[in-house]
Amino acid sequence: MRKRQRSATGLGRRLIPYGLLAPGTIWLIVFFVVPMYFMAEMSLRSGVPNTPEGFTFNWAFSNYSDALAGRGEQIVRTFYYAGTATILALLIAYPLAYTIALKVNPRWRLPLLFAVIAPFFTTYLIRTVAWETILADDSPIVDLLKSLQIIPDDGRVLATSGAVIAGLTYNFLPFMILPIYASLERIDTSLIEAAKDLYASARHAFLRVTLPLTMPGVIAGVLLTFIPASGDYVNAAFLGGANNTMIGNKIQSTYLQQSDYPKAAALSFLMMAAVLAVVFIYIRLAGTEAFVGSEEEVR
Amino acid sequence: MKSKSGMATIAAATAALALILGLAACGGGGGSVGGGNAGEVTVAKGGTPSGSVLISNWPGYIDPGANGSVANFDKETGVKTDYKEDVNDNVVFFNKLKPQLDQGSSGGRSLFVVTDWMAKRMWDLGYLEQLNHDDLPTVFQNILPQFEKSTIDPDRKFMIPWQGGQTGIWVDTSKAPEIDSVSDLFDPKYKGKVEMLTEMRDTVPLVLQSEGINVADATKDDWLAAIDKLREARDSGQIRRFTGNEYTEDMTSGNIVAALGWSGDGSLIGNENAEWRRPTDGCDTFFDQMVIPVGAPNTPAALAFMNYAYRPEVAANITDYVQYVTPVNGVRPILQKEDPKVANDPKIFPTEQEIAPCSEDPDPPGSPQDVADVEAAFEEVVSG
Repeated sequence: MRKRQRSATGLGRRLIPYGLLAPGTIWLIVFFVVPMYFMAEMSLRSGVPNTPEGFTFNWAFSNYSDALAGRGEQIVRTFYYAGTATILALLIAYPLAYTIALKVNPRWRLPLLFAVIAPFFTTYLIRTVAWETILADDSPIVDLLKSLQIIPDDGRVLATSGAVIAGLTYNFLPFMILPIYASLERIDTSLIEAAKDLYASARHAFLRVTLPLTMPGVIAGVLLTFIPASGDYVNAAFLGGANNTMIGNKIQSTYLQQSDYPKAAALSFLMMAAVLAVVFIYIRLAGTEAFVGSEEEVR
Repeated sequence: MKSKSGMATIAAATAALALILGLAACGGGGGSVGGGNAGEVTVAKGGTPSGSVLISNWPGYIDPGANGSVANFDKETGVKTDYKEDVNDNVVFFNKLKPQLDQGSSGGRSLFVVTDWMAKRMWDLGYLEQLNHDDLPTVFQNILPQFEKSTIDPDRKFMIPWQGGQTGIWVDTSKAPEIDSVSDLFDPKYKGKVEMLTEMRDTVPLVLQSEGINVADATKDDWLAAIDKLREARDSGQIRRFTGNEYTEDMTSGNIVAALGWSGDGSLIGNENAEWRRPTDGCDTFFDQMVIPVGAPNTPAALAFMNYAYRPEVAANITDYVQYVTPVNGVRPILQKEDPKVANDPKIFPTEQEIAPCSEDPDPPGSPQDVADVEAAFEEVVSG
């Protein structure tokens, strides 16, 4: 009797991890696997849009090559925009996070972090539309840029690549700042002191100690910025012009304007594969060690 | 070790989350497509209106506010109307709703307004309910004779005119008072300062006419050539962007000097120098229609709303605010007393001769495959 009871507890214990995993697993199945299945099935259908027959499933793999035809420009542009925005976000976020985490009086950390996040209490869409007004051709900001000769007198900001990249950088900046801040904040500052005691210059201490210790934050930030930025279509739709569309806009218009659901689904899959490939290469280059390993060094 | 795997898990979860975010931004397809319920037609049920009702319409297409037509309808009937301005583009609205319509559901909508050719497409796919004229006495008592019949829906089985107008050119007269034709919009002088519509059936016929082609005789190749012309204008930076109603925002903030646009959009443009002009090299008319979708809840309230909108005094209030062409008889005499400026505006009350030569938002010629080809070519241009 006693023994049996013990084994039941043992079984229960062994089940606990699965129980803890269950909510996440169910969430993933319902909101990821199921839609993916329908999308995959749709991407292999063919037919004529807007007919009563609709699209029928017939392993139409040609959708994938058709989807790419004529869209190379948007794909290159997408990675160019998302990549530039990610680099800019990193260049802005790191010094900012560094200052907040290590340089200012700890009393100021919370208010400063709040200042970083506060604009993001407003919805993403409203903020982007607001930029449309700020960057309008006759706006004071654009006038100022013109008088400073940063843009030519007949130039404009809105409806250019610059506006789209700026919008992406702005909108995804907190996703870069917060992980970097979190990793900087956890650094044991005595390690930096130790480096300095061992005659490392400030530059060396940063490059050899601080930066490697914060690599997981940088990598998480880069992924969190780059992946949604490459799938974004809101910035290109509002801040871009007719020649600044990204692949997200293409997918949207293939689906909503052209009613070609199979091709839109195929394009979505290709986009996902491309992003996965880029992320995979990135992690390979950054090194899995930097990705997961530095925590030990802190201990 | 523990923290190592913890970090890996966080990183993996981060990547997965980001991927899903990216995916969500991309949007996707899904659900069953095709079929509809073509063949069997449901007739919209009449009766005494009550309860709540959801109506979808284009932005700026009714007089708003506590004394507006929707509020007055609610006061009078006791119905609670949820009036949404979520139709910005016929095709986009159609495709967003299509998965639900395929399942025989209207997404809770009891009535919406789309352009006549789209109403026809929906009817052909079995997405609309049939209207019983006995339930619409006010409509058929007050409809203007020229709207009683429609070439698209000869017996008014599925669509009741809401309002219509013309597609032409909105010009900022303080910046480019000389623009008066569609050809002018291609003048390099206005590079990056003009916009065209994402509605293919508005933009392409106007470009065809500017090339001297009669839209009724235009071939598929003519349509594709006009689309090529638009592509060149896009590539050279001539066309700033293609828009739905958003051109009114660029007109308001002074980003453009001219855009293809709809004659009644004045209420959406906050720029006193904006003036709508009928192009000298072509014209296009459209008429938007009230329809009841399959699966519509509370059809009695939807039918009551149609009757209500056809009362001359209600229609006069709407026309006075919206400034589009009304299909309701008796509106002009009321406005001649209340707002003579509107009553005498030829955009709002055009003569038959003015409208006669205009194209009416036509489909491209040919089979559904041909139409899809032309739509695909246009989409390539519009989405850069």
